[in-house]
Parts: sequence; structure tokens; C-alpha cells
Amino acid sequence: MSLDGRPKGRPSFYPMTFARPTMLSVFPLVALLSMAVPAALSFPQQSFDEIAQRADSARTADRVTEAIALYRQAVQLRPSWSDGWLWLGDLLYDQNRFSEAQDSFTHLVAITPQPGPAWAMKALCEYEMRDYAHSLDDLETWMHGGLQGSEGLADVATFHRALLLTREGRFDRALHLLTERAQRRGESPLLVEAMGLASLRMPNLPGDYPPGLREEVWLAGKATFYLSVQELERGQDYSHRLLAEYGQQPQVHYIHGLLLEAQSKSDEALQDFHTELQIFPQNSEAMLEIAGIDIDNGKLDEATILARRAVQIDPANPEAHHVLGRVLLAAGQTKESAQELQSAARLAPDNAAIHLHLATAYQRLGRKEDAQQEMTTYFAIRKKKWPDRSESMKTRNTSHSPEAPQ
Amino acid sequence: MISILVPALFSLALSLPPQDASPPSQSANTAQSSGAFDQLAQAAKQAREEDRDDSAIDSYRQALLLKPEWDEGLWYLGTLLYKKENYFEACTVLRRFLAQNPGNGYGWAMLGLSEFESHDYTRALNDLQQGITLGLGDNRTMIAHVRYVNAVLLTRSEHFDESMALLFTLLTDGADASSLVEPFGLAALRLPFLPSEIPPGRRELIHMAGEATMAIEARKYEDAEKIFSDLEAKYPDQPGVHFLIGAYLLSAHPDDGIREMKQEIEISPAHVPARLRLAEEYIKRQNLDQGISLARETVSIAPDEPLAHMVLGEGLIAKGDAAGGMRELEAARDASPDMVRVHWDLVRAYTAAGRVADADREKSEIERISKQDEAR
Repeated sequence: MSLDGRPKGRPSFYPMTFARPTMLSVFPLVALLSMAVPAALSFPQQSFDEIAQRADSARTADRVTEAIALYRQAVQLRPSWSDGWLWLGDLLYDQNRFSEAQDSFTHLVAITPQPGPAWAMKALCEYEMRDYAHSLDDLETWMHGGLQGSEGLADVATFHRALLLTREGRFDRALHLLTERAQRRGESPLLVEAMGLASLRMPNLPGDYPPGLREEVWLAGKATFYLSVQELERGQDYSHRLLAEYGQQPQVHYIHGLLLEAQSKSDEALQDFHTELQIFPQNSEAMLEIAGIDIDNGKLDEATILARRAVQIDPANPEAHHVLGRVLLAAGQTKESAQELQSAARLAPDNAAIHLHLATAYQRLGRKEDAQQEMTTYFAIRKKKWPDRSESMKTRNTSHSPEAPQ
Repeated sequence: MISILVPALFSLALSLPPQDASPPSQSANTAQSSGAFDQLAQAAKQAREEDRDDSAIDSYRQALLLKPEWDEGLWYLGTLLYKKENYFEACTVLRRFLAQNPGNGYGWAMLGLSEFESHDYTRALNDLQQGITLGLGDNRTMIAHVRYVNAVLLTRSEHFDESMALLFTLLTDGADASSLVEPFGLAALRLPFLPSEIPPGRRELIHMAGEATMAIEARKYEDAEKIFSDLEAKYPDQPGVHFLIGAYLLSAHPDDGIREMKQEIEISPAHVPARLRLAEEYIKRQNLDQGISLARETVSIAPDEPLAHMVLGEGLIAKGDAAGGMRELEAARDASPDMVRVHWDLVRAYTAAGRVADADREKSEIERISKQDEAR
């Protein structure tokens, strides 16, 4: 993997169902075809075989320029040869020739019915060609197709999806993906920059924002990164610097509050979340954090008001419905709580905590079968996400946790 | 510096073909056989020589449609697009050129500069370094410019020490000192910004830090200490200031250096480099308990930081805890296999423990890293 996280070297994105092409797989089909077609038409067929074989040989011998030229000839002769488009696209991508690689992957996805790894590769090319809308669309298609491909491809494609989600203003989802990457792969300058943009709710790509904001983005990124990997003292250092220099900017007190909350300093965190709301009254995330702390402190009136406001501001945010559901559950308004939690579960079906709270609500409503079903879902999600951990492990309590919504 | 050098670069890039950029004879022959291509190539050349850039770009584009792999056309189109500040397209064209000329250092450098201007900083750093590795010929202006951009990008990607080393080389080689003040200041204060990204309120601080660092390099220690004194008076609570002063004082006046590092840690309790420099100093002075304790705390603050494990390992070994020390050194080595100092530490530790094969393996690693560095 290169410095910026792009796949390098020989393609490693073939899943088991997308086998590395070999001439062995081509020959039997060729033999059948050449028997079936008239002699006059068999000549181009032979020519294709020969070219394809030479292309494969050139590729395996690392004669990249020659391989590219031969694959180009081969796919012109047989545009349905998916392996040829794949290798051509891959070799061009490796050379950072994104426009030409994109063309190959566009051909490939046109003849490949499943939204496999070629969709992710096409999306990465589109990203490099600054066709961001199509890139995100294709990444979503790839994601809905089950994120097929190697771990390396999934990693790079998901990272780019997070960048594009940030650009689209879908900051929470972006931060969730970036947090996962931080926990899995550790720190890199590009990741820190991406986390800074998402946490400050700046709809920009790394490197593509006013230069005067660089320091704020960097400090926010560092604080958020260290929060993600639970190196809280380091996060605190950067958050203090952020606060000292940019304390009047939106999101800054919110980030500081999250770090304090992660250190179980709820009272201090509350102060920051309230200050955040003074600076940025529409910050629904800060409202939800206050509401969450209020539930623990039994301050249900304030919690209800804030959670309802958060739902109003951001009705598509599952966490807003989740927190409101929890507040209502604590206040004994179980029926309305169940409705909110159902909305949350619809928006974030993979969030285990929502199912757990919904099970509790159903239990109190006497809907035992529904409660049992929710518990089954809860355990299934937990097992899928943390197969090696004890079920009794407490879930993390930040909005960037692995429980965060889809 | 960039703004000063760029006009020079244009003329250089346009007047000097890169090392391997002259068209291969085969493609020249093919060109001769194509009348339309010949005409376009001729028109492009003439327009370029007459500084009619738009017309030249247009002709090169058309000619490349007829002959997509025409090296000379790709090169001149790429550099003209750079000149016209169409950096994004320049990148695309130069990548096509480099696909055919992967050994052309000058080409990689031009691509890196185009990527830098496109704000694609990660790729720019990679490609500039590739250019430097492959060689940039004897074009001193180009070399200086590429090294400068490389240095500021190293700072932006938080490789502060590497950046500083490169800046010192530039200074020694006679680069305009005034253009290096901000890059020095940023690297010295460990602020990962480009000079163009310095917030307005920070410029003075960064200038002072840069001036002081350059004074040390020029062995003007009195000047440096005077600036440090002003810096400390003016920015006593600014993160990074006491670390910078402390790093200097640890060699010149170690007791004062310790005081400065402690002050830095008071301001930034999780300042890993300050903690490690202080722990090292304690270990050096045989204050082993203090050094180990500080290093241990640092490991708990930054468990993924290999240098923290290294310093802790060195402290433990000095204290006589060979097994504990080796464990920490191995953790440092596994997290960052190219740190020569850790391998040397392990050679000594394994040898003392009679683990000859392990010591030999570490020696091989040292050789591997040396060869790798030489290749760079």
C-alpha cells in the first residue's frame, strides 16, 4: 500500500468469486467457439487468443507498457472479455492513469452483472478524476453489493467513501467510517486531516479548503483521532490547543466535551456541550450528548426537550431517535419510546444498542415475542462485530463508537 | 521561494527536454510517415518557441490524438499545462509520459510539482522523492526548487526531523535564507503546515523560531539564544516553544534544557517528544528511576509510539532489567523496523544475553537499512 493508501503492486482485490484470470479459463471456451464458427471467422478468434496470452505473459513479466497495449488490442477484439478489462484497468490504475483506467472499469461494470470490486475501482478512478458525485454513487452501489474485494480494496474504497460523505455533509457517517479506520490502521496525516474536516463539519476534501483553516483542521483532526483510539491524554492536549485558538468556532467545544466525557468527566463535559450550543445553537449532536448525560442524572425534562429538538433538526439521524427513545423509556412513556426506537432501528439496523433498548420497551409493553426477536438481533449484531469479546463488555458511549448508525 | 522560482522553472522546463524525453527514433520515423501528425507537431513546436502557449497546447493535443504515445508531445504538453496553471491536466499528461519513461527523474519531479499545485500533497511527496531518487540532472534551479517543496511537504506530513535535515542541506548549498525562515520555523515548532497555511496570528512566532534555528545552524549561538529569550518572553505558553528551546539547551546547557522540557510538559502534558527527550536525558545522567518512570508514563500515553518503547527499553537495560528492556526494544523494532538505533540496542542486548543468532539477525537488519538508505 502506498503512502496515500492506494492499492499498489499486483492486484489484490480479487475475492474468491472473482478469480484471477488465467489462460486456462479462456482456452476451453475458445476451443468450443472455434469449432462452432465458420473457418473464415475463426481467424480473429485465434488472434485474440494469441494476443491475450501475450498480454498475460507481458503482465506477469512486469512489462507493463507492452501488457497494456496488448490488453487494449485484446478487448477491442473481444469486448466481452471481462478479465482483459480488469487487468487493463488495474495496470492503468497502478500507473495513476485514472482517466484511462476509469474507461476500462466502465466497460467492465457494463458487462459484469454483480456490483463487485470493479465498481469500487471505477469509483476510485472517478474520485481521482474529480467526478465526485459518480464516485460516491458507485461506492454506494459497491457497498450495497456487499463490499466485495480484498481487505486492501475495502479499506481504500471505504476511506474514499468517508471523504466523499464529508464533502456531501454526511459527517456522522463519515466519522464512523474514519473512526473504524483509525482503530484498524492507526494514524496517518491524511486520516487526521479527514477526521478534522468531518469533526468540524466542513464539507471539503483534504487539501481543498482555505489555507487559513489548516491549523484548526489539524488540531481538530488530532483531537478526534486520539479520541477514536482512546489515547485520551494526547487528544486532550490537542483539544486544549484547539479551544485556546478557536474556542469561538462551532464544534470546538463539542469535541472538547467528547474527550472529557470519554474520561468520565461528565460535569465538565456538560459545560462544554452547553457552551457549544451557545456558539452553535443548531448543534444536534451536542443536544444529544447533554440528553444522554441528563438521562444518567435523572434530568428527564431537559433531556426530553433537547432530544426532541435534535430529532426536529436532524430527522434522518438515527441517534436522535435513539436518544429520544431512551429518554421516553426512562420517563415511562413506553409506547412513544418504542416508536422512536423503531425509527432509529429502521435508520440504523446494525446498531446493536438500539435493538437492546427496543427489546426493553417491548418487554415493558408486554410484547414478549417482539422483545425476544430484538434480543436475538442484538446478540447477532454483537457477535458479528465482536466475535472474540464477551457479550457483557460495555459498549462505548461516544457518538463515534462502532455502534454509530449506518 | 516558490513564487520567485516558478518563472525560472517555466523557462527551464520548456527549454530543456528531460533526460529521456527525446522521442525515440522509431516514433520519429513513424511521425515522418504521417503527414497530418508532422504538420501538427511542427505547428506545436513553432507555437511553443514563439511563446504562443494556447496555440501550442492545442496543436500538441491534436497531435497526441493521432499518436497518443508521442513522448516529446506528452512532455511539452505537460509542461505547458503547468505553465498555464492547469495543474490537474498537467498531472494526467505527465503520468502518461512517465508510464513510458519511468526512469525519468525530471519527469517525476514535474509531476510532483503539478500534484503539489493541485493540493494532492501525499502523491506530490511520493513523486518528488521518486524524482530526487532517480536524479534531476544538473539543473540547479530545478533541484533547489524540488528539494524545497519536498521539505515543506515533509513538514506538512509531520516528518519534521527529515524536513529539518533537508532544509539544513538547502541552506548549506546556498539557497536564499529568507525563503527558508518559515519552513524552518514550522518544522522546529512541529507545526504541519505549508508556509501558505500559516494562520496570520502565528507568523511572528514561526519567524522567530525559524531565525533561531538557522542561527544555530550557522553556529551563531549568541544570536540564537537572544531570539530564544525573546521567544520565551513573548510566547511563554505556546505549545512547542519550550520544546524547541529545550532541545537546543540539552546539548548546550543540559540543566536549562531539562527545565525547558519540564515547562513544555506542563503546557502540553502529552507532548511525546518532550517527554522522550527528557527521559533520555535522565537515563544519560544515570537518573534511571526518573528516566524509566517518565518513559513508562509516555508508553501508557502513546502505546503505539515506537520511540517511547525504545527509550523505555534502553532505560530498563541500563537498570539491569535485560528481559524487560529487550521486550520494549522488540516492541519498538516491530512497530518501526527501520530504526537503526533500536537494532543496535538489540545487538548489544542479545550479545550480552548470549543470543548470538538474534544479534546476527539484527546486524543483518542494520545492513539492510544502510543499503536502503544508500539507494535513496
